[in-house]
Amino acid sequence: MSHEKINECVIPKDLHYSVEDNTWVRLNEDGTVTVGMTDIAQHLAGPILHAKAKGAGTDRKKGKPIATVESGKWVGPVKSPVSGVITEVNEKLAGDAQLINRSPYREGWVVKMKPEALDAELKEMVTGDQAVAAYKAKIERDNIKACNHIEGSDTY
Amino acid sequence: MPIRWIDAGTVSDLRSQSIYHGLGYAQERRTPDTIVLATPESPYLCVGHFQDPARELDLEFCRKSGLPVIRRETGGGTVLIDSGQLFVQWVFQRESLPRKVEQRFETFIKPIVETYSFFGIDAKLYPVNDIHVNGRKICGTGAGTIGEAEVVTGNFLFDFDTEKMVQALNLPGEVFREQTRESLNKYLTTFGKEKRSQPDRKEVIEVYMAQCRKVLGRDFFDGNLTEKESKEMELIEEKWREEAGHFIPLSRPEERLLKIHAGVWIGQMKHAARGGFIESVIRMNENRIEFIKLKADAGNATAKDWNGLETSLTGAVLEREQLSDRLAKYFSSHREQGGFHIDDWVEALLRIRNEKKRVTGRE
Repeated sequence: MSHEKINECVIPKDLHYSVEDNTWVRLNEDGTVTVGMTDIAQHLAGPILHAKAKGAGTDRKKGKPIATVESGKWVGPVKSPVSGVITEVNEKLAGDAQLINRSPYREGWVVKMKPEALDAELKEMVTGDQAVAAYKAKIERDNIKACNHIEGSDTY
Repeated sequence: MPIRWIDAGTVSDLRSQSIYHGLGYAQERRTPDTIVLATPESPYLCVGHFQDPARELDLEFCRKSGLPVIRRETGGGTVLIDSGQLFVQWVFQRESLPRKVEQRFETFIKPIVETYSFFGIDAKLYPVNDIHVNGRKICGTGAGTIGEAEVVTGNFLFDFDTEKMVQALNLPGEVFREQTRESLNKYLTTFGKEKRSQPDRKEVIEVYMAQCRKVLGRDFFDGNLTEKESKEMELIEEKWREEAGHFIPLSRPEERLLKIHAGVWIGQMKHAARGGFIESVIRMNENRIEFIKLKADAGNATAKDWNGLETSLTGAVLEREQLSDRLAKYFSSHREQGGFHIDDWVEALLRIRNEKKRVTGRE
């Protein structure tokens, strides 16, 4: 997977990003999409202790929560970058929420969804070099000196 | 943009929680950042978003004692909130606070620390989000994204009802309960304990406001709740009332891990070892054993108690090598190991530290 690193924050170039909400989308061959939190999101949250996704079958509009996570007394939503129905939940997160910290783009995915308006919503996301540029600006704006990675993180 | 300051005064138990939830859900782009101060008129128990009230609390005791139980939408653990506390709530626009959670807590905690300092209390940030005075906790915090708002809450402790808290918790047994009582008395402090007399709340509020102004570098204006915010508060109160009706009491747990503050934990673990079990109640401070009570049964055990071993282990750091050394030294002069290998004992004792790491993500 081709990627860029900005201040130790990893940005794979083949994913699509909702930059403001720090989520990514991977397009799957079966027409579904996989959704997760970015490396920057896991850094900002710190070690994630709990993660609970909405169940399979849940219909979500873009921007609505598909999961809730807790890290160090902070609880927050993972907002859906697309509209659609959740088809699968990453069950591993229930027992090991820090998978999101260790492997935000691989093992720590949050849900898979059947999108309803993907073409239009992808236009509102960024990918490739455009994503790298958008995150470079965001990292500067949010004053992120270096993304932290906990023990056992994916190596890039 | 100036910060809206709402001194809600004394409010109902539910309202002391619903204010910041309502403000969060009602927040729009033009809503000013808001700081709320409130004190509940009566006590209640409040659990974190990911906690199960039945596992945390003796719901039967709470019901008989008329103590409402609320599950808030922010993080953290179980707290008793009553009229001895001044509840501080920040409900801000997302971009008004640092994006990293750890830094957000630092910003929030600073004016509280400075306020305690003003009153002669040597309060300091204890990472990540506690405030301590010489190893004793004097403020708890919680945070969350509610609606579009970023919320951080904490409290000034004037007084604390240790006994009520001890009775309200769902704990495995009396050894654990007594340790909880002792630990709360030892590791939790208040204005009253530190200064013998409590300062005037009005004065605390004035000092706190001045410190917030200094830390945030912004002006304040006295504000009120909007109709939309009040409506959201009523909705969440209704939801909590309904939810409370579905909390079903659970029996006493066999195992339990309880945080007294970020450095001090009490745990009871029942470890299945070869041929039996080893049960331990341990209080650890910075991973060092401060108190330990052991029970072990391999079917052929002859030891009636483990007082000698408990004394030998007190003060040990909960790490494999040190525990192995202490156990080996003890059993070299005491033949009875309860039918267990030293490795069994080590694994049993390490369970509390491993469990703490699992639930906190930190060593």
